[in-house]
Amino acid sequence: MIKYILTALAIGIVAGYLNNNFSIIANNRVSDYLFNASLILLLLVMGLSFGLDKEAMGKLRRTGPKILIVPLAVASGSILGGLVGGLILRLDPLASMAASAGYGWYTLTGPLVGQIFGAEWGALGFVLNFLRELLTIVTVSLMVKIDKYAPIASGGATTMDTTLPILVRYCGSDVLIVAFSSGFILTIIAPFTIIAIASLA
Amino acid sequence: MINLSALSLIIPLIAGILLGFFFRKRKHVNLGKVTVGAIIVLIFSLGFSIGSNSELLNSMPKVGMSAFVMSILAIGFSVLFVVLARRRLLME
Repeated sequence: MIKYILTALAIGIVAGYLNNNFSIIANNRVSDYLFNASLILLLLVMGLSFGLDKEAMGKLRRTGPKILIVPLAVASGSILGGLVGGLILRLDPLASMAASAGYGWYTLTGPLVGQIFGAEWGALGFVLNFLRELLTIVTVSLMVKIDKYAPIASGGATTMDTTLPILVRYCGSDVLIVAFSSGFILTIIAPFTIIAIASLA
Repeated sequence: MINLSALSLIIPLIAGILLGFFFRKRKHVNLGKVTVGAIIVLIFSLGFSIGSNSELLNSMPKVGMSAFVMSILAIGFSVLFVVLARRRLLME
């Protein structure tokens, strides 16, 4: 399965690059449309398999509101990772923390961090969060061996859309709600944590 | 500032869950092939948007190494904290 995913990703990147530089189709809206349509279909199907799975609901009920701990642990882990990275690389620690507080949402973090800390940091925030998404996809089969929730932690904000179907495939249908809610909460808090960290400067 | 498209993703998810409850009595619902096909399309179009983002591709060589180190650390600490929380709080 992961072979097909990585092949599709690679072909997509090459196709997007060629299209952008040589304008073959000249319209990126086609890929946006494909993205949204397949995502909505997947969410429907994943919801359906969750609803069908009698055990999944029971597991969620037993865990209860504790699932809210997951996004908080991811947020603090990401920001600590940014701080440690900034100190190791001798970069501005606050900007490093802000860049990693995008939790994988690179289309937000790039422009936002760029606006606050300058273009160079915007580029770093962009690539950092893009790599987070990419590494989550590439390492999902290894991560799931560490812990069932490890790929959810790795995915950060992306676990409500792009990486969700892959996580459900590898971790099972019962992680659906934990993964979606964690990604959802991180998506909502990402702009606020970035701005909060920046205001410490 | 709040991502409205994020909120709208809840709708198909909840619709799916409700449909699932409704179809529970039916014997077999096999959606394996649909899922795999849709995942391939999703990931292809994700790749497409990355490949056509020249701003992202151009900044790769300049900041790539620092970004890689930081992304590994952000992932590492996130996994560590979540695994610790899960073991301590006995989440299923």
